[in-house]
Amino acid sequence: MARYLAGRLLTAIPTLLVIATLAFMLLHLTPGGPFDSDRILTPQIERSIAARYHLDEPLWQQYFRYLGDLARGDLGPSFQYRNTSVNELIAQGLPVDVTIGALSMLFALLAGGALGLLAATRQGSVLDQLATSVAILGISVPVFVTAPLLILVFAMRLHWLPAGDWVSGSWQHLVLPSVALALPYTAYIARIMRASTCDALSQPFIRTARAKGLSPTAVLWRHALRPALMPVVSFLGPALAGVLTGSIVIEQVFGLPGMGRYFVTGALNRDYTVVTGITVLYGALIIGLNLLADLSYAWLDPRLRRPA
Amino acid sequence: MNGAAAAVSPGGSAWRAAWRQLRARRSALLALGVLAAIALAALLVPCFSPYDYATPVWTRIFTPPTLQAGRIFGTDALGRDLLVRVMWGCRISLLVGVAASLVSVVIGVLWGATAGYLGGRVDGLLMRTVDVLYCVPFIPLVIVLEVLFGRNFLLVFVAIGTVSWLDLARIVRGQTLSIRAQDYIAAAQALGVRPATMIRRHVVPNLIGLVMVYATLTVPSVILFEALLSFLGLGVQAPLASLGSLVADGAGEMQANPYLLVIPAAFLAAIILCFNRLGDALRDAFESHRG
Amino acid sequence: MSRWPLRRLALPALLALAACGPGHGGADPRPDRPRVGTAAAATQELTRAIDAGGVRSIDPSISSDLPAGRVLDDLFEGLTRLGQDGEPVPGVASRWDTSADGRTWTFHLREARWSNGAPLRAGDFVYAWRRTVDPRTASDYAQALAPVANAIAVSEGRLPVTALGIDAPDERTVRVRLEAPTPYLLSLMTKSFAFPQYEPAIRAHGDDWVRPQFMVSNGAFVLRELVIGGRIALERNPRYWDAAHVRLQRVVYLPLDRAAQTDRFFAGELAFTDSFSAEQTSWLRSRLGDQVVSAPYLGNFVLGLNATRAPFAGNRALRLAMSMAVDREILVKYVRQGLYEPAWTPTPPLPGYHAPVPAWARLGEAQRHALARRYYAEAGYSAQHPLRVELHYPTDSDNRRTYEAVAAMWRSNLGAEVRTFNEEFRVQLNERHLKLLALFHYAWIGDYPDPYTFLQLFRTGFGYNDGGYSNPRYDALLSAAGQESDAARRLQLLSQAEAVLDEDAACIPLYYYASRHLIKPYVRGWTSNIQDRNLSQYMYLLEHEGG
Repeated sequence: MARYLAGRLLTAIPTLLVIATLAFMLLHLTPGGPFDSDRILTPQIERSIAARYHLDEPLWQQYFRYLGDLARGDLGPSFQYRNTSVNELIAQGLPVDVTIGALSMLFALLAGGALGLLAATRQGSVLDQLATSVAILGISVPVFVTAPLLILVFAMRLHWLPAGDWVSGSWQHLVLPSVALALPYTAYIARIMRASTCDALSQPFIRTARAKGLSPTAVLWRHALRPALMPVVSFLGPALAGVLTGSIVIEQVFGLPGMGRYFVTGALNRDYTVVTGITVLYGALIIGLNLLADLSYAWLDPRLRRPA
Repeated sequence: MNGAAAAVSPGGSAWRAAWRQLRARRSALLALGVLAAIALAALLVPCFSPYDYATPVWTRIFTPPTLQAGRIFGTDALGRDLLVRVMWGCRISLLVGVAASLVSVVIGVLWGATAGYLGGRVDGLLMRTVDVLYCVPFIPLVIVLEVLFGRNFLLVFVAIGTVSWLDLARIVRGQTLSIRAQDYIAAAQALGVRPATMIRRHVVPNLIGLVMVYATLTVPSVILFEALLSFLGLGVQAPLASLGSLVADGAGEMQANPYLLVIPAAFLAAIILCFNRLGDALRDAFESHRG
Repeated sequence: MSRWPLRRLALPALLALAACGPGHGGADPRPDRPRVGTAAAATQELTRAIDAGGVRSIDPSISSDLPAGRVLDDLFEGLTRLGQDGEPVPGVASRWDTSADGRTWTFHLREARWSNGAPLRAGDFVYAWRRTVDPRTASDYAQALAPVANAIAVSEGRLPVTALGIDAPDERTVRVRLEAPTPYLLSLMTKSFAFPQYEPAIRAHGDDWVRPQFMVSNGAFVLRELVIGGRIALERNPRYWDAAHVRLQRVVYLPLDRAAQTDRFFAGELAFTDSFSAEQTSWLRSRLGDQVVSAPYLGNFVLGLNATRAPFAGNRALRLAMSMAVDREILVKYVRQGLYEPAWTPTPPLPGYHAPVPAWARLGEAQRHALARRYYAEAGYSAQHPLRVELHYPTDSDNRRTYEAVAAMWRSNLGAEVRTFNEEFRVQLNERHLKLLALFHYAWIGDYPDPYTFLQLFRTGFGYNDGGYSNPRYDALLSAAGQESDAARRLQLLSQAEAVLDEDAACIPLYYYASRHLIKPYVRGWTSNIQDRNLSQYMYLLEHEGG
């Protein structure tokens, strides 16, 4: 296990380097440069800014300085929000993303898992067909269609839940965004769960268990569930990554001050440091989440724990 | 005929077998039919409709769907016919979907086949690269590229295509490895055929079935991505509209004129749904065929 | 059983359900038109919307955007403040005197305090104004203080900040020296760049002084919470000199785009929107009645023309052709649903000012089109050789509709090919500052109710003269007006100057703005005014159903 972990971490470093380099290149190859301000700066101010941010150094020197800053966790200043650093925006936005992301994943796992199990145990019935239909619908309808519809129904017509915003301490504001984000993943997980449970239930060891006199429920929970969960767990890595980037739309529609929204406004306003900083962070998060998913996969399947 | 032998013969019988399997699944056939109908409509309706997708008609702003004057889907905020605009939107979504998938298929197949066939260090290098690229957050990068280098429509195809080839490369590599183990490959090698020719003439045709499946499954995610870009305001420029930008506009009119959201959303969902269904059925067909 | 019927019907069914027609009727906890009582509501908290761009900076010296302006109006107060009817009334200054030549004003301050209890002194105004024009602050709005003596010279670095025409003979007196008699000075004093600032906070915390934990302000409210690009919460300031009349306890500002503002209003989460979609006006009026409020606004919606590069440089015929070919009445009637007034000249209607209208504006449509085509041909364009130019505008659905319509008009009336491009507000602003754009969105919201705020845009060398328009005759008329102390004569000179602009077709005015708000019936204390500034300190909430 330790060797596996070490091996994976070793792959993580070149990946981060690639992402950071890509980000740096974008920062410096853009037309107009990073200091397109909407103020008419006098030449002396421009020069002092250039000196302060080391823009007058040769490119390779700037690159290594950039990597050094990155290693120390300094992502630079934001250009659209004066007097704010990228780190501050991330400190502001990351908790939002994590909360919504975690809630969505929880919802998707529970609802999708339950749906999949239900469909698998009643294979071929009306319930199964309904569940499958709902699942394929969930995958096909984009988030930016379901989110406004949810707002229309639950906030504007029924007045059950707020239409958006982030108010700390209020759970009602978390419901609609999390559910909207979770829907496609619920569908994916339901499909995977159904397929893997059917697979697991048709294995010989299940027949053995039933022959021993175990009730169907016990058979399901004690024997079929663990192998059935494995494809779901291996899906979690890409799912979590998708949730991260999918939250960009959710934040837009619900007006949440998360990293995704800062990223989009940064991209549109040419706030390069914000954009590259958040991209690097996304990359690091995706690597971390994939690692976590792989680890849980290894934990679930004892066969993988032995060194390869 | 066992599974291994079936994979040996060139694509032909794989196609026919797949088609037979497909025909047996009514829903997949229906999906194909719906897609064909939408594509046909998207192609023909704008040519035959008296209305233009770009010309505003001041006196007909926000007319709901009606049978009068052929305004089946109604008009939008500038009085432009929604039917024609939705058809154009379908054109663009289908075009981007197919074109970008093509790009991703080409890259993925070449990459995976080369890695699987050559093996050894080349394989290791190519697949490590895939692992590394897997973790790069492409959606943000594409958004940034879009913003920085202008709303060049060609860029959209290419960018989306380069995002989607990774899974395909992995799968193709796996399949190539199993093909490579076949006897006739060893025979050809003994005869001195060059690796490039081997890949081109023996490996690739046997991959076609697999590629078809995954290409069909890539299209919906590509269309979704393009719709997402348009929704964020980064896709096509006005007055052209893609289904994503039509949905974005419609979302703003959700209360007053819901048909502006519902109709493009329904078309977008239908296209994605049909491709998903088709891809699923193809995959089932190939897997059950292989046994 | 085929899965098809279920799946195919599910989506349309879901959507149809959601798209169901309006109205629940009596059982609705938050009706569209809530009934209002007569007593004050228990919770005096107002949630207002500001534009989606959000507030980039709430430093009074630096910020120049409208959303920040709204928040600053509640946080600070200048020598004068905006009264409930939109006219300047005493603020920090309780009274003032003017010298005989109108160039020196003396303001006498009342006893007022900062939010941290420190006394407000005249020196706080001196410090603030110097900071605004100081080139090291790099404020893009330094030129707004232009009427003050030496302001331009200081902002360009030619004179030290101490040369600015403001000083404090004692702690309760502010003396302002002007370049020329400025009739709109009192209005100017209500604006954010003239607010006082608390020097110790700025010295101690530098750029961070605008954070809630450090900010010291003197207005009716203090800053409690500031989410970057997100919600801003203000709380009543008990140390404000007029706090006895302030009834609201909390004000929350939410940056939202236009569609979201309407949605939240219907959801009952917003009581005062910043705008609404013009196309929805009749539908909104049918659902909301009097809650839909619209009034003339001191702003113009104008297309800027770049006078320094092709195709408009030196080509008066082309400029005239483009201006004539726009059917403004159609634009206003259908695209803007009658909310706005068509404009043929940059300055919106102002009392006492006679804005000149070009003669061709009175022609019938056919005649005007014919004239436009003649000028188009004269400029050297034709069907075989059409004009090809790009129009850049800031991303906004209102803008998009208008410019798509205008581009279509140019295509059908002239045969010109104009492609429209949208960009983020800041990006478009920057590009036009750098004079990179030939044809661009150039709307301007006036700072004070006087024609000069609009006409200065075309003065040679003005910081926001993005078209690079330069006409010595025009500049001379503006300067003459600036020196004129007789108010009526001054307005006449400005009118003559504007006539020069019209003759030259320096820009293409489209329409004059109207302020648009959705306001719940239980919000009271606001009035429509031409600057559309609604200070929260006058507002209060009545008890209401659903509250």
